Amino acid sequence: MANVEVPRELKAEAKQHDMYLHPIDKDTYELFFGPQHMATENFSIILKMDGNRIEKAIVNPGFLHRGFEKLAEHRPYFTNIALILRICVPESDVPENIYSMAVDEIVGWEVPDRAIWIRNVVLEMARVAGWMFWIMGFGNEIGLYTAGQWAAAYRERFMRLYEELTGGRVYHIYTVPGGVRRDIPGDRWLRQLRDTVEYIKGKLKDFDEILFDNYITFERTEGVGVMDKRFALKHAVTGPNLRAVGVPYDVRKDDPYYLYDQLDFEVPVLKEGDSLARTLVRRYELEQDLYILEQLLDMGPPSGPYMVQDARLKALPRFKPPKGDAYAHVESTKGDFGAYIVSDGSHKPYRAHFRGPSQSHGVTVLEELLKGARIADVPVILKTLDNCPPDIDR
Amino acid sequence: MDMNEKEKIEAQPAGEVKSELPDTKEGRLVKDLLERAPYAEGSVRRERRVEFKVPPERIHEFLELASEKFEMLMQISTVDWIKEGEFELVYQLWSVSESVHAFVRTRVPRENAKLPTVMDIWPVAETYEREAHEFFGIIFEGNPRLGPFILEPREYEKHPLRKDFNTLGHVKALYGEDFDRYDESKTNYVI
Repeated sequence: MANVEVPRELKAEAKQHDMYLHPIDKDTYELFFGPQHMATENFSIILKMDGNRIEKAIVNPGFLHRGFEKLAEHRPYFTNIALILRICVPESDVPENIYSMAVDEIVGWEVPDRAIWIRNVVLEMARVAGWMFWIMGFGNEIGLYTAGQWAAAYRERFMRLYEELTGGRVYHIYTVPGGVRRDIPGDRWLRQLRDTVEYIKGKLKDFDEILFDNYITFERTEGVGVMDKRFALKHAVTGPNLRAVGVPYDVRKDDPYYLYDQLDFEVPVLKEGDSLARTLVRRYELEQDLYILEQLLDMGPPSGPYMVQDARLKALPRFKPPKGDAYAHVESTKGDFGAYIVSDGSHKPYRAHFRGPSQSHGVTVLEELLKGARIADVPVILKTLDNCPPDIDR
Repeated sequence: MDMNEKEKIEAQPAGEVKSELPDTKEGRLVKDLLERAPYAEGSVRRERRVEFKVPPERIHEFLELASEKFEMLMQISTVDWIKEGEFELVYQLWSVSESVHAFVRTRVPRENAKLPTVMDIWPVAETYEREAHEFFGIIFEGNPRLGPFILEPREYEKHPLRKDFNTLGHVKALYGEDFDRYDESKTNYVI
């Protein structure tokens, strides 16, 4: 296409908003959306715009690539925990758990009951904290800042509980192959967790009034970014995004791990497939997760060791699992998070490969859903897909 | 649990594996698929995990058959077996209707590794294939978007996840010879 001069006032406006306009012809231009934009979180989309409508979107990830999979091949099995949990920032327990589950399967360890209970509680806490993080982002994107600030404050309660349990607020380095690193601090911690669950349960009504049952939310999300069932399955859409198109697939029900086959919970399913359905599915799941945490607390931690009893664990840096490979996956708030670990019998993993849900949500699905959308819908589609760029880059 | 299960299956001839399939939903799933694709080998690993081995020239044909039961392609994991001179590609499939995970394994030689794309079966394969191409240098014929994806353009064509990639050499070339955080004369680094 011929180079057409961009009008001077448009150039000035672009400079003011820190955007770069690349003219293609008179009405079409290229817009670099992110990585500075708040909604994109460390990745960028190159949008080919026709006025206010998006003609074509090209996802441009790679700003967060730190080579974790290569580094994991150079470190012993237990040291890797401190590395691979950085793959998922808002829910760092998820990569820890799938890595540990896969190594447990390769070694053939029966993880003790107490460790399984603690791991399950930690994962559910990560889910509720993850929902709070998501409400924070989503509320901010559609202009309902109050809900976002509340959610950030409630997430802080979980951060404190994590700090007491693991020593870390965001990155916990807690779940290791064979069990967990420390025992529960005591009954006081369990009481605090129950209080927190009760507290957030009481706040659900407020969230409904200000965010989920809000006229603004409906106006911004209804009919935006619609996908159907066939499209979702072909594009490996998982998690709440898949349940919003009417497929009741949940790893906790269909491939149960830990104590989920003994717990009583529902899998909320809607069939509209637009941004509103994705938002509401997440709202119902938050309620179910609080219910699961209550059941786990009623169950109480079983007595016994919190780490598997194995003589090989005395020489931890030289710990060698047998040859083999395993795939483990869990349900994170973003979708199906999986890890494929290959062992060649040495003290380092031969290959560690991770499957983040955003590898499909954030690349091909996003590119398809953005076609024909308005520029104001981009943050809404991004946030309702719950795209997490470190999954793609790793 | 027997961890050397995989090696035992490799040693057996293909005919015997079929008769050993258990009478479970996983066993029936493998049996149905193997009847329609006799060139493949299949086995049940444990509950909800099945395994197939397919020659690389028939991988597209097999995955097209498998996609009727396994609706989702979760990931394409590549493993560099440098001693054997082969790349192993593991197509991780998930069946929503049957709740079974399948590993579909195929091996291609490391030199000029080429495979047909499966974008026409699962459009999401585009992303996985771009990643495998960038990190291992495998060419997927028919994928139009192979090229720099996650890495910077200057790192493209270096294929960092291959086992023979020199990490230290790359860092030294990038940041200069006086990069001294790593001392080669020291042998016992404690990580």
